[in-house]
Amino acid sequence: MIPLLGLLAGIVLGIVLEPSIPQILQPYLPIAIVAAMDALFGAFRAYLEGTFTDRVFAVSFISNVLIAAVIVYVGDQIGVGSQLATAVVVVLGIRIFTNAAAIRRALFHA
Amino acid sequence: MDLLNQIIRHPIDPDYALVTARGNESANRRWPLAVLALIIGSLFAVAALQTTRAAPALQVERTELINRVQNAERAQDELQGRVASLSQEIATLRAAALGDDDAARALEERIDALDPVVGNVPVSGPGVLIVVDDSPSATADARDRVLDIDLQMLANGLWEAGAEAVSINGHRLSSLTAIRSAGDAITVDYRSLARPYRVEAIGDVRALQARFVESSAGAWWNDLAQNRRMRYEISDVKQLDLAADPGMVLRHAGKATS
Repeated sequence: MIPLLGLLAGIVLGIVLEPSIPQILQPYLPIAIVAAMDALFGAFRAYLEGTFTDRVFAVSFISNVLIAAVIVYVGDQIGVGSQLATAVVVVLGIRIFTNAAAIRRALFHA
Repeated sequence: MDLLNQIIRHPIDPDYALVTARGNESANRRWPLAVLALIIGSLFAVAALQTTRAAPALQVERTELINRVQNAERAQDELQGRVASLSQEIATLRAAALGDDDAARALEERIDALDPVVGNVPVSGPGVLIVVDDSPSATADARDRVLDIDLQMLANGLWEAGAEAVSINGHRLSSLTAIRSAGDAITVDYRSLARPYRVEAIGDVRALQARFVESSAGAWWNDLAQNRRMRYEISDVKQLDLAADPGMVLRHAGKATS
């Protein structure tokens, strides 16, 4: 319940406050969001399996976002930024789908 | 595909299982979770806001650019109209200045004979129309596009074949009009052309087409049409109307001292 409320509150906060992201960080925002979604789905699945720990969630979320951003940043420096961004999205996307399928099975037994 | 298998088999962070196996430790702290959820939610909102905000801004920029182009084109048309009326004025002034003696009449005759050839006055008459265009595969291979040199060859071939007046897409060619590439477009007289290219030439219809086809320019274009599949259509036309070249301006004028 708390994470869901926090998520909603965050969305409202973002819309109301409209914090401006620095120009340098803007390309990494979509990647950070995909990494965050991956962490969220992973956490929810762990929660359903009874292994959820908030510390692991915090660490995995932060490290996921940072690593994804660093990969894209390095890619930008060596000229393959968009390809590496695609790679990150593909890998995290596969994870998200797999986790979502597991969550669906756990919730609906289908 | 070991990598893909690994991604699919272990989609959750393995640390969840590790920490749970190690034993429970203060599972009651909920505030980091709430803070992280807050951060993730605001990330979503900010990204969505930025994307939706950027779209209309781009659209506005685009319409403004289009407006500016259209305004510039209108201004250009206006200026061209002014050029036409001013050259008319020059012609009347010249006629007045020349007076009405034998030498003047001879000069006027020479002017009248030369004017159509140099492109100073609009001309009409029978001639040939050549339509050329990029080949259908031009987007894939830049070599399949019509280049400035192709149009230059075409124009020179027409002159060589005896054309008296040539225009490309309505831009009359004179000794002062350049045919060259600028960016992606070919420009004639520094104005960009839109495809397809219509080259009109006034001349002796009985000979013009045949002589053009035999010239080196004809061979050049035959080669382009056959090997590069460019469009290349040549036909006789009974009546062509070519405008004057607005780039022909009076640069120097003085009273004759005879």
